[in-house]
Amino acid sequence: MDALRISNLVKKYGTVVAVDDLSLAVPTGSMFGFLGPNGSGKSTTIGCLTGLLDPTAGRIEILGQPFDANSAGLKRRMGVMPETLGLFEPLYAHEFLAFVGRMFGLDEARTRTRVSELLQALELTDSSKTLSEYSTGMRKRVAFAAAVIHSPEVLFLDEPFESIDPAGVALLKQWLRRFTEQGRTVFITSHVLETVERLCDAVAIITRPGKLVWQGDISVLAHDGAIQFDGQEFRALEPLFLHLTGERYADLNWL
Amino acid sequence: MNFELIGELIRLRYKLLWARTRTRNGRIALFIAGYLILVLVLLLLGAGGLGAGMVAVQSGKAQKVADIVLGSLFLEMMLATVIMGFGLNAMFSDTELRRYPVGAMERWVTRHLVALVDPFWFLGFVLEIGLVVGLYVVGAGSLGIGLVAVLLLFVANYLAARVFGVFVDRMMQHKIGSLVLMAAIFGVALGAGQIPHILKHNPAAGAEAARFLRYTPPLGAAAAITQSGFEAAAGLAIVVCWLVALAAALVALERRPAHRQKLPSTRISFDSIYERVGGWFGAEDAPLVALWLRFYARNTRFRMHVLLALPILGFLVYAFGKPRNDVHSLFIAALGAFPVATFLATARFSVNQFGYVGGAFRRYFLLPIDARAALRTGSYASMLAGGPLIVVAAIAWAVLAPGPFDGRMLFMLVASGIAGLLTLNGLGLWTSILGPRRGNYNQNLGNDLSLAGNIVLIGGGIVCLSAPHVLARIMPALVSPKYWWLAIMPAALALLFYVFSLRATGTLFRQRREQLMAVVEGRG
Repeated sequence: MDALRISNLVKKYGTVVAVDDLSLAVPTGSMFGFLGPNGSGKSTTIGCLTGLLDPTAGRIEILGQPFDANSAGLKRRMGVMPETLGLFEPLYAHEFLAFVGRMFGLDEARTRTRVSELLQALELTDSSKTLSEYSTGMRKRVAFAAAVIHSPEVLFLDEPFESIDPAGVALLKQWLRRFTEQGRTVFITSHVLETVERLCDAVAIITRPGKLVWQGDISVLAHDGAIQFDGQEFRALEPLFLHLTGERYADLNWL
Repeated sequence: MNFELIGELIRLRYKLLWARTRTRNGRIALFIAGYLILVLVLLLLGAGGLGAGMVAVQSGKAQKVADIVLGSLFLEMMLATVIMGFGLNAMFSDTELRRYPVGAMERWVTRHLVALVDPFWFLGFVLEIGLVVGLYVVGAGSLGIGLVAVLLLFVANYLAARVFGVFVDRMMQHKIGSLVLMAAIFGVALGAGQIPHILKHNPAAGAEAARFLRYTPPLGAAAAITQSGFEAAAGLAIVVCWLVALAAALVALERRPAHRQKLPSTRISFDSIYERVGGWFGAEDAPLVALWLRFYARNTRFRMHVLLALPILGFLVYAFGKPRNDVHSLFIAALGAFPVATFLATARFSVNQFGYVGGAFRRYFLLPIDARAALRTGSYASMLAGGPLIVVAAIAWAVLAPGPFDGRMLFMLVASGIAGLLTLNGLGLWTSILGPRRGNYNQNLGNDLSLAGNIVLIGGGIVCLSAPHVLARIMPALVSPKYWWLAIMPAALALLFYVFSLRATGTLFRQRREQLMAVVEGRG
């Protein structure tokens, strides 16, 4: 069964098309990379998939059920780390995580345990600072913790690795691998193609305006294999991405 | 000093302001603001300044009139800046300016020049110019010296307001700052009330005070405008001295490192006061109400306003209740002041609920709840924070009001407070959805509300304060303790309006969430 199925998704802002007839299927238990250049509609797509935005047209199914912004039951089974992190700045990390835990239906004892464990694991034990006083990397860790505290079945991560130190990234990768090994699904956007290449089983690449240009299995790249496309052989994700989204050259003499 | 770059930065500030007019709401706000400013400028220049100049000469007391006009204007601009926050928010921060190749002094000059060219300050300046022109036209003053004097006074007025604002802001960052401020306001209010009494018994004190006031910027400028020779030069020198002193004070205050209040860290608690109070609203809404209450309680400005609400209520009753020895006139004033006091502390958040949450706004739509809960719980929290003031104010009335205790009056005051609380928070729901504006949660001073928010806040205050007086004239029975039970009606109507607003804005909230998200995240 597919954890996520998008059919003919369209999102328009007035006359501006942000996502154009996007169809996609993400198998259960996979680590799925969703890639595209800046402004190609990745965050808009995630917004539609998580209930932040209303699609103009199209159908979204998550865990086999139709999804829209009011699907509270499905939202309980999803974890989301949004682009803007969505943190309530005047709160302490433990207060914020406890709030999220409660909203997702965790009981008091379980919330208490999970908050403590997450704070320990993510090295967020400085309880003298509110979220507004945290560094960008620490804020990102808190947002990640909030996305996973209720053990979701599908996890949406929008640029999760930016601003996090290498040790933190390694920890997140380890968690995400274990997450998918348990049969759960991760939908991830990132500009760090090396990380996506090592972490993801499959990717979809979109280009402006939200048009799918390629979707496929990239696990071969991890075993020194190659992806055949357009009569060319690609041994890494980056050249394939640049080929699909258009390589750009600009000769600036003064630079 | 790189004036070219400073000029570019000031232009950038206006380009950013202009960019806001690209939206429909921005164009409406621009039209209304532009129209109002034009009308005000014409009124001020024509009727205000010029008129005052004419009166000054005709009465043969040119300097005295100039003293009064410039002095009261100076004070009013200061108070409007510090209390209402006008003219304080149009400013780049030092951190923002650090990205440009400008030195510390240039950044300081840029920040304050940007703030100084705010339309609010120009209104005062126009009135002052009007006075100078009026005096010049009737031959009682020099145009050149007068213009220099009011220009210097205008800058001194801005600097004085800024020094006062930064001082209050720094004070609020300390734990006991709010209490000190409250004590100071009490002191000033009580002291001001004693002035007529002191002057009556000791006329020499008045003369001494007037002599002392001659060394203040507005009276110095008045001397420069209306006098000639040495006296005019001395008046200008006074303003210049103040200007230098205020600029130095501002630099010194701004250089002092900001001290952020550290709130005690808490362990994970499901039994804090916030959770317990949130629990009154049912299991589904409890965590959200608790969240909003924390949001309120951790805001310095809110805490300051809570402490100030009662003194302000007392001041409003005292100021609007005339004659002051008549309990009924004080009661009429209190009927209007009670609703204002209950709304005062929470107004900034309740008319712009999501304006201060930034990126966290989208969290409400990621949670497995009906998103309307975010709106209604925010409003509940606002009423929970403002409501207890009705009880405190009622106790204060029972203890301090002159004459024998009258339970009917107390009932009417409480009903009036409840009616105001429900109506103003109901209106706040509408402005939160239809007129949101991105604000800074940590900003202690300044007016960062949208036009709609300001209309509810200022307009609501004016209506509340004046309505009982109007009713006392046209339908006295409605504000008479004899018919105390009639006070239930406005409270019941307000409750209906609030419930209707909760339902209607809940639906609207879901429909407009994308626009709201863009505004509160700074993209719209």
